[in-house]
Amino acid sequence: MTTAVPTPRVRSLADRARRCGPWLAVAPFLIVMVIGLVLPVLALAAGAFEGDAIKSSFSSGYRTAFWGSVKLSVVCAVLGAVAGVLVARAVLSGGALLRRLVLTASGVLANFGGVPLAFMFIATIGNAGIVTSLLHDWTGFDLGDSPFSLYQFGGLAVVYLYFLVPLMVIVIAPALDGVRAEWSEAAQNLGATRAQYWRHVGGPLLAPPIAAGALLLFCGSLSAFATAQAMVGGTVPLVTLQIANALSGNVSPDNAGVGAALAIEMIILVAVVMAAYWTIERRTARWLR
Amino acid sequence: MTRNIVRRGTVAVVLSVAVVAAAAGCGSSQKAADAQNNSGGAASATSAQDLGGLDALVAAAKAEGQLNVIALPRDWANYGEIIDTFSKKYGIKVNSDNPDGSSQDEINAVKSLKGQDRAPDVLDLGGAFALSGAKDGLFAPYKVLTWADIPDNQKDASGAWYHDYGGYISIGCDAKKIAVCPQTFAELKKPEYKGKVALNGDPTKAGAAFAGVFAAALASGGGFTNIQPGIDYFAALKKSGNFIPVESTPATIEKGETPISIDWDYLNAGYTKELSAKGIDWKVAVPSDGVYGNFYCQAISKTAPHPAAARLWQEFLFSDEGQNLWLKGAARPVRLPKMTTSGTADATLLAALPKVDTTDAQLPSPDQVDAAKKVLTDGWTKALTG
Amino acid sequence: MTAVLTRPVEAPAVRGRRNATSIVVLIVAGVYFLVPLAAAIWFTVQDKVHGGVTGEYYTSIPQAEGFAGALRRSLTLAVLSVLGVLLVTVPAMLAVTLRLPRLRPLVEGLSLLPLVIPPIALVAGVRDMLALGPDQLAGTPLGDALVSSQDPDLPIILVVVYIVLATPFAYRSLDAGIRAVDARTLVDAARGLGSSWFDVVWRVLLPNLRGAVLGAAFLTLGLVLGEYTIAGILLFETLPTWLVKISGQNGQLSVSVSTASLLFTWLLLLVVSLADRRPTSRRDS
Repeated sequence: MTTAVPTPRVRSLADRARRCGPWLAVAPFLIVMVIGLVLPVLALAAGAFEGDAIKSSFSSGYRTAFWGSVKLSVVCAVLGAVAGVLVARAVLSGGALLRRLVLTASGVLANFGGVPLAFMFIATIGNAGIVTSLLHDWTGFDLGDSPFSLYQFGGLAVVYLYFLVPLMVIVIAPALDGVRAEWSEAAQNLGATRAQYWRHVGGPLLAPPIAAGALLLFCGSLSAFATAQAMVGGTVPLVTLQIANALSGNVSPDNAGVGAALAIEMIILVAVVMAAYWTIERRTARWLR
Repeated sequence: MTRNIVRRGTVAVVLSVAVVAAAAGCGSSQKAADAQNNSGGAASATSAQDLGGLDALVAAAKAEGQLNVIALPRDWANYGEIIDTFSKKYGIKVNSDNPDGSSQDEINAVKSLKGQDRAPDVLDLGGAFALSGAKDGLFAPYKVLTWADIPDNQKDASGAWYHDYGGYISIGCDAKKIAVCPQTFAELKKPEYKGKVALNGDPTKAGAAFAGVFAAALASGGGFTNIQPGIDYFAALKKSGNFIPVESTPATIEKGETPISIDWDYLNAGYTKELSAKGIDWKVAVPSDGVYGNFYCQAISKTAPHPAAARLWQEFLFSDEGQNLWLKGAARPVRLPKMTTSGTADATLLAALPKVDTTDAQLPSPDQVDAAKKVLTDGWTKALTG
Repeated sequence: MTAVLTRPVEAPAVRGRRNATSIVVLIVAGVYFLVPLAAAIWFTVQDKVHGGVTGEYYTSIPQAEGFAGALRRSLTLAVLSVLGVLLVTVPAMLAVTLRLPRLRPLVEGLSLLPLVIPPIALVAGVRDMLALGPDQLAGTPLGDALVSSQDPDLPIILVVVYIVLATPFAYRSLDAGIRAVDARTLVDAARGLGSSWFDVVWRVLLPNLRGAVLGAAFLTLGLVLGEYTIAGILLFETLPTWLVKISGQNGQLSVSVSTASLLFTWLLLLVVSLADRRPTSRRDS
């Protein structure tokens, strides 16, 4: 009886290069992330563990702030994703000039925010805004009497969309580009209606990038704070405002630990959301194959 | 296979960290050493006498040639003119960083830029931050030539920090947009001011806004030990729709969104000057029912890259010339009582200050302020969203 | 082969129906995005002193002291950041998609993390890390690197932080592109036909990912030219921090600098987008 002798693996230089190649490709990414992300987060975590910062960060005020942030982010993510897909589709079906104008504008607006953005909306639909006074002059309708107020949760969401929708547009455009016309033609030839096409072909194809985009929007609106600070101050409970107060305020020194603890908790929250997202994604991806 | 990948993944991350750790920089920390050498002992001087008098201090400062200041907006209590006057008088270049920065940002900059040429030399901080920084040993004790003129309860005994200028909470009002400008906190509740009243930011973050809530507390039956009536006041004001949570800025005032702004009187007075050119009549009134005043503090960084220039800056600020420049910015310099009696305070500027009813306004103690801040941070958002 | 890989042409039969909703969407979006901008611009051109309109709040910007330096610094940072983001993310993502799929959670997680951390918290961590330079790590190569990365004329630390901040956007954009072109099939086909790895990446994958790469570049450029918090707290003078500094307490100037910055960045991106020479007319495939 001959026992199979395992053949020694030949470690030629070319072989080793081929095996290391992908790792070399990932290396710069990891190095930059370590310097610019992992180390600062570790430094932050070190600050979070001093004193009773972590215990304080679970007090009712901060819990309300967390919940407020999550509520706002979910609403903005859903609205922004839907609006972003609609706008992207509309733009991509237009000419190349419109595409170029909108995509570049989206690149700029996706990073817009803070005091200038708040002012733009205050100047438009604030109490002394242009649109408010025009509406009043033309129709007698007083925006102040309506349930909508710029200085509340709803108003904040409307303003957040100004940078969330462009972000979604830029991020979903490549995916929309990939939806081939041939596929809808082929489906048509095989007798499918438009609804069936979207349900069985287009939808499953676009669902993952749309979900990924919505996740991006969720994270983006979770971490935004400068706009809220300029517009609603502390009257809408948001955890990022609390972090800013603790780390960069003019009122209470020695609160840096709580700020760091809150930031770490935000990261954990998003890690949980992402874990849920991955489980769903893996399941749908298997079905797509 | 998974274990293999996990192992390789860990190796990759560890290697990345190692590469980072082994990274050779071509930078040198020589600059900080040079700066310290240049000062020739100014870093440890606790008064001008230590260096041999004011003239020696001026010479040492001129040799350094630069001064780093931080978080000093040009239009805040006339700091623009103060910086320019100092710079021209002594030929020292003033680098003004991060004018919109907060007191916390100043402290952080001192800590994180230690040893660099860019680190801040002098600081203008809120009281709580001055105390906290002194506790952390960040400041170099220094007593200016006019040290005796500063009241004892407004300076640190060793000279780590000292009050520089202050003001009272005031109600600024656009007289062209508002028919009758409110003069007291009680009047602000009137329905005619619906949607028009704003603070200068979030009271849990902005010093002026916090002071505004404290002043409202004084006007509503509270006191230095009880800020809750102030929180209740603003909660009621928001419910009636009078108070809008927008951070009032020159832009929102000009736009007409915040025609009534509760802010330090010197800031509101500064707006009056700026806005009159644009045809806006901005009136300033210190409310008689809630008189709340407070001061900011000066300090010198212990690790200042330009220690002689830093000390000269303090001498300048606390000289008659410097104090009058603050007076020009409608702020009340800390030596004002002494300067009024000795006649060195500029009479016209004095007369132009916003009128205050009481002649003997008290300052809250640091402990009272701390306790009030805690109450505010815990209760503000809840009260205003409820 | 190339015909399959170019952008598809829309089938004429479907186009008509899609146009109605598209137009409505475009009008609503146009109103939502342009009206507030117009309101802000209108505020900045009013001449409150003499009546009428004035452009002084725009013409005074380039004349203010320090403009050239701040602009040069920001543009340099922007170019370095764009190159950095692409050099860092594109190889990593291709490697993960094609050869190391189990690293995907790590790479994706690291990519999304910068977006979650509020810039204020991230800069606090960066500051603490940089503070180690003069303190615990004084004299070591890493310590020196940390200090020299803060050179005010060209702060490399800002480039690193901006690369990290831009990665979530770049990753998402590139990921959508990679999935859309079904990179795996393309690579298998190309390798099956005998091309080297270099050819596969350079001549097959990247041309198809051009849209996604440009999207990532746009987002990074927009980010660097508009980022204020981190540069401000680390006390560097970039264009955004300089703009805030000069606007001071002047209401109209503080708004005009932000609208001017928006429009300037948009123009810059338009110029960069000319590098993407897409066919402007329909092509038969």
